[in-house]
Amino acid sequence: MTLPIGADPTLNPWHPNAFVESLFVNRVLFGGLAKPGKDLNPAPDLAASWKAADDGMSWTFNLRDNVTWSDGQPFTADDVDYTFNQIVLKPDAGANGRGNFSAVSDVKVVDPKTAVFNLSRPFAALPSYLAYNAGILPKHVFAGAGDPWALNSFNKGTPVSTGPFKVQNFTSGQSVVLTRNDSYYAGKPLLDQLVFKVVADANTQIAQALSGELQIMILDNKAAVDRLKGARGLSVQPRTLVQYYWLALNQTDPRFHDVRVRQAIEYAIDRNAIIQAIEKGYGTIANSAIVPALKTYYDSSLENRYPYDPAKASALLAEAGWAASGPDGLLQKDGQPFSFTMDVGQRGVLQPTNELIQQNLKKVGIGADLNAMEWNAYIQKVVVNRDYAATVNWWVYPNDPDVLPYYASSAAGKGFNIPGYQDAALDDLLAQGQKTSDPAARKPIYTQMQAYMADKLPYNFLWYPQEIDVVSDTLQGVPDLNLRDAMHYVQEWSLKKS
Amino acid sequence: MLLIVSAITFFMINLAPGGPSALMRFDVTPEQREALTRRFGLDQPVPVRYLQWLAGALHGDLGTSLTTQQPVLDRIGERLPNTLLLSGLALTLSIVVGIPMGIASALRRGKPTDYTLSTLSLLGLSIPAFWFGIMLILTFSVTLQWLPSSGVATTGADFSLKDRLQHLIMPTIVLSTAALPTVVRFTRSAMLEVLGQDYIRTATAKGLSRTVVTYGHALRNALVPVISVIGALVPRLVGGAVVTEAVFGWPGMGRLAVEAANGRDYPLVVGITVVIAAIVILTSLLVDLAYTWIDPRIRLA
Repeated sequence: MTLPIGADPTLNPWHPNAFVESLFVNRVLFGGLAKPGKDLNPAPDLAASWKAADDGMSWTFNLRDNVTWSDGQPFTADDVDYTFNQIVLKPDAGANGRGNFSAVSDVKVVDPKTAVFNLSRPFAALPSYLAYNAGILPKHVFAGAGDPWALNSFNKGTPVSTGPFKVQNFTSGQSVVLTRNDSYYAGKPLLDQLVFKVVADANTQIAQALSGELQIMILDNKAAVDRLKGARGLSVQPRTLVQYYWLALNQTDPRFHDVRVRQAIEYAIDRNAIIQAIEKGYGTIANSAIVPALKTYYDSSLENRYPYDPAKASALLAEAGWAASGPDGLLQKDGQPFSFTMDVGQRGVLQPTNELIQQNLKKVGIGADLNAMEWNAYIQKVVVNRDYAATVNWWVYPNDPDVLPYYASSAAGKGFNIPGYQDAALDDLLAQGQKTSDPAARKPIYTQMQAYMADKLPYNFLWYPQEIDVVSDTLQGVPDLNLRDAMHYVQEWSLKKS
Repeated sequence: MLLIVSAITFFMINLAPGGPSALMRFDVTPEQREALTRRFGLDQPVPVRYLQWLAGALHGDLGTSLTTQQPVLDRIGERLPNTLLLSGLALTLSIVVGIPMGIASALRRGKPTDYTLSTLSLLGLSIPAFWFGIMLILTFSVTLQWLPSSGVATTGADFSLKDRLQHLIMPTIVLSTAALPTVVRFTRSAMLEVLGQDYIRTATAKGLSRTVVTYGHALRNALVPVISVIGALVPRLVGGAVVTEAVFGWPGMGRLAVEAANGRDYPLVVGITVVIAAIVILTSLLVDLAYTWIDPRIRLA
């Protein structure tokens, strides 16, 4: 069974260079305390159960007692302690995903099968976050081995792991071959071997799926979907994602302070047309940060909050003091035309999306210049220096409605709050959602938060994309989850003879 | 020479906007970014870092890759043999096939053979490598299922020469389509020029056979410009087979260089540049030696 990855992975989920290609392999190799359930709620993995303290200031995890590392050593609470206290939470390590655990002050071992996470503030989403790229590393390998990021025999070789498969061999630029872990705690996996093949070119990936060299892949270029739908031996499966695209309007620009301007822009963008043109219909309109895949919390009543309505957009802009005039056809206020630059990172569908938005904005008298930039330079300008007026991008987040890091006023101008929107009422809702772990109590808070976000538009929400997986008919047992989450169930996959 | 190349590359890549990809990702907090900057030693000024790098390089240590934390020399060592194999094969094919084609074209100047070869050369030069590569894959891997579509060997299988060769066929053809026409065209024009010279007419007049004149006298002299163009092809094949490598998943230097530049892996970019520069210098030395062998009038300065 073979699946493609775009580049060499780094076999350590916390490594600063563990990028998206690493995530698919690491989710197979390294069990976390929890994993995403098939309903996306956190499900037991290396921990069998967990419970929050009454004051919400700590969580206790009871570990499974039949887990062993692939070298035969037993898995214990010491491994959890070491992974968090010595690697993830170390301020000078710069661990990947460190930001997700800013509420965790430390981890204490109660006994070999019990670990307690102590918090600096209530953090109801902890189990969901522990199910998200938070694999536990073996203490007996890392302790005393120096810099964890330079341990290449592990990170770029054959690591000691707990998952259903273990690394047999890693060939740079070509493949990582995994073999079945017969002592996996949940029983023998059905497949013998799992091969991650490095295939950088998207068209080559498609060709290899057609020739039967790959059994499952994500179709990044949705334009090819119709061609693959008719292919013999393959099926095309849409999957939900915890991801949304947004347009950030920099709040240091006074023009974007006015909520009417943000709402006008939301009405002015024909998001259905974008979803049809760019996603071939595989997506739905977004009006808040909570995705439809989070069924417990998603508020579908907001779906028609901002229909495409240029007339309404113009009315709101007029109300905000922007008057039509000028030979260039742009709106004006205090003698200044309404125009700005949108920085475009060259990745995925960002370029064509920006072009469509540019056309939509022009229709209501707003001029947007596009500035296409190489990705790395774009991140430095927009994210690190916050030197931008408007930009389109996306967030992917753990399977939980707690989106505080992306909206908190405290993260404006430096953290993940890209537009720099600051609002005490929103901060309060975000904090309330973190205080209780009971879904019934959280639901009304997050319903209120979604309505508030839709009104205020801290980001201009664009759409929720879907993933398209191309799956061989010979491959069975893959759950109805996006491929990243489905990797947590790879022990249930099997191949039937074709 | 290598010193100048390394210094220019080091300063240029550090001046480029952006930074190592571990720092330049969306989901990294400012605190993480600061910690990693210190960890990678990027809080030091560029000239200081260059001197540190140079001190290591003089002892054969090209530094540590920022994207994998592996020694730069190890990363290059993994990829260079693949590149040398592919580009060496493509170059050999271009020479072995290209020179006879060029001669045939020159000897039958203005005849159908000449037109056919010239048209094919033009086609080879103008065909985009990524398109040609995908077409080959669709034909020979997807439809006919004769050849593997990517990689240097079948994953997980034991070493087999047949398997290796099967993986080499399509990338070699694609890479040769760019180099071969250059060899053909240069051989043709060099041959035409030489065949018009007085000494060829003299040789023919002396009653020497056409074969001896063509291969003994004309070809030997025509080879001088051909060898210089082959010398110019080497760095292009070694350093610039990016598209072919990407389409066929060939783990070579071109892809490594692109990854290094995109990820602002400063030590790796400099390391690759220095290694490629060394190969270029070595090639021009070999070209010079080849001149003196072919034409004894040329003496090494």
